[in-house]
Amino acid sequence: MTQHIIVNSQIIDVLAILMLMSTIILIGTSRLKTCIWACVFRSFLLTLTSGLIAYFSGIHHIYITTGVSLVLKVVLVPGFLFYIVDKVNIKKEVESYISYTLSLLISCGIILIAYYSTLSIIQFENTFMRHCLPVSLAITLVGFFAMITRKKAITQILGLVTMEDGLFFAALSTSYGMPLIVELGVFFDILVSVIIMGLYVYRIKESFDTIDTGFLRDLRE
Amino acid sequence: MVILLLLIIPIITAIACVLIGKHSVSKYISIAGSFLALLYNIFLNYNIHVQHSLLGLNGFFYMDALSILTTQIVTIIGFASSLYSAGYMAAELHEGVVTERKLRWYYFLFHMFIFTMLLVCVTNNLGIMWVAIEATTLSTTFLVGFYNKKQHQEAAWKYIIICTVGITLALFGVILTYHSSKGVLGEIGYALNWTDLLTVADRFEPHLIKLAFIFILVGYGTKAGLAPMHTWLPDAHSQAPAPISALFSGVLINCSLYGIIRYHILTSKCVGPHYSSTLLMVFGLISVIVSIPFILVQRDYKRLFAYSSIEHIGFIALGIGFGGMYSVYGAELHTFNHAVTKSLLFFCAGNLFLKYKTTKMESIKGIIKVTPITGIILIIGVFAITGTPPFNIFVSEFMVLADGFASGNAFIIIFSSLLVVCITLIFIGYIYNIFKMIFGVSPEAIPKGEISKFTIAAMCFLLVFVLVISFYVPPLLREILNSIYDIIRNA
Repeated sequence: MTQHIIVNSQIIDVLAILMLMSTIILIGTSRLKTCIWACVFRSFLLTLTSGLIAYFSGIHHIYITTGVSLVLKVVLVPGFLFYIVDKVNIKKEVESYISYTLSLLISCGIILIAYYSTLSIIQFENTFMRHCLPVSLAITLVGFFAMITRKKAITQILGLVTMEDGLFFAALSTSYGMPLIVELGVFFDILVSVIIMGLYVYRIKESFDTIDTGFLRDLRE
Repeated sequence: MVILLLLIIPIITAIACVLIGKHSVSKYISIAGSFLALLYNIFLNYNIHVQHSLLGLNGFFYMDALSILTTQIVTIIGFASSLYSAGYMAAELHEGVVTERKLRWYYFLFHMFIFTMLLVCVTNNLGIMWVAIEATTLSTTFLVGFYNKKQHQEAAWKYIIICTVGITLALFGVILTYHSSKGVLGEIGYALNWTDLLTVADRFEPHLIKLAFIFILVGYGTKAGLAPMHTWLPDAHSQAPAPISALFSGVLINCSLYGIIRYHILTSKCVGPHYSSTLLMVFGLISVIVSIPFILVQRDYKRLFAYSSIEHIGFIALGIGFGGMYSVYGAELHTFNHAVTKSLLFFCAGNLFLKYKTTKMESIKGIIKVTPITGIILIIGVFAITGTPPFNIFVSEFMVLADGFASGNAFIIIFSSLLVVCITLIFIGYIYNIFKMIFGVSPEAIPKGEISKFTIAAMCFLLVFVLVISFYVPPLLREILNSIYDIIRNA
């Protein structure tokens, strides 16, 4: 049994690293559609991880969240984002307040911080959580970083989806997911928030003729 | 089952308002629905007074004194605000600013907003509490952007992005709490239930709980408007229609603070009260200090009131952080006082906006001649909100500060002294800004008279609370506040 879990945890470690790398693509690329595809890829890996954990642990309710996550994060949300991107007809690609090289360096720093801040917690753990908790925190914080440095409204939505993915992974790796009803509530909130943000991207494009949120600066002292 | 009914009332009202499109009918449904919720909450309040706490639906719902205080504020301000909406929106409809079709969705979202806030307070599950706090953001984004001009869209975008990010960070705190409780309680579905968490909180892993509290404080603190995460608040509160601003300032920030207090209790029980109290005090003091310059040089009266909300939420956090008997009592009384007084001021602001069509203070003169009732209520409200004796806010601020000075702890005494300075500066800022608007010669074109009987009724309803609590705290409220101190202290 113990050996079984060790083997499995190696597979999950590999998936976790792949997820982190696809999150870094979000920071390092300038093409908006590549960013969305990177998010789709990461969400798909996450769903795969979730399915594997459900299979290895034998906890049935994880299968339900896996299914919902597959439909929601791999199909519905990216599909909606592609639809919005086509609809508002974005010509310029992703722009950032700071250069890509610097962003990548800062992301590396964030990953170190994620490991450092969870050190006191993970040193007592011997499950796969030991590697997954810092990775999930890193994904969350890199998503946060993408949100605050990118100018385009769509990239901010992608940052949010990334944060949610990181948290879903954190819940999964630390405690086999949250209780089912909470998990479903969280999914519902994500779906509704992405739809509302998408509608606002469209409205902002209509009134400001840009989705560069740097132009949103009428309200200040 | 008893608690479930409280949640069903706003949902039915919301659906009824959407089905009946005519504003002349739906405004009465809206008022009746929120009045029913208010009455029902008083009934629940009485039950809790007798039984101390209520559990419902297999432990899914839980109410104690802390939740009943917040739901009481939600239902009181909800009723006042739906009364005010009836008058305010009728005037907007008459001028053609909004359409009846839009008002359908206004009332629908209004009552869904009340539903989500009530759900925050009555759920036993901290995960559902997170879902509900996020749902308050989602149900109000379109209300912030209701008029749909450039500045409203900007405010709505900032609101949803900043709040969603903040609350997403809080989810990490919830996950850490769940992880630590699962380590003690084992593989069970109710490891996030407040009632179960509280019994085992002293056996949690301290590192985990400390990290969780930081994420919760930053996350829910964003929604509560604690500085430095407050940047969405002045925009959203000033751009939303006045009845919604009243709900935002009066209750939404209290609901988020309610979430923080729950985790404060858990953390105190696990690692002792010092850690979370200190964090609350520091964030509270920063909020009070940050609001001062913006209040002193403000040109927009709705933003003035919004910054004042940041000050007051900071003050409440400080009072909870002080942790003494009178300061906790005072801080909780302050949530009530601030809610009724600030909502009253936002109603005045709504009347001014309808009369003068601007939110710039320099364009407004002679309120007392144009709308005498609004003018008088505005004067009372401004004196009350700045903590002038004998009004209600003075009572609660005095309790917190007196307890702070009497605590004997050098750290708390320094904080209290700084607070006195801050409150004085804010008083000056308020009086200087508002009194220029009240007197003077009004522009000729402004029609004289009040907006409607609904708006007057809503303002008088809240004024009663302001005046009564200035001199006398009703026994039912006093009992609740005392039990809250026990809940926070006996953790």
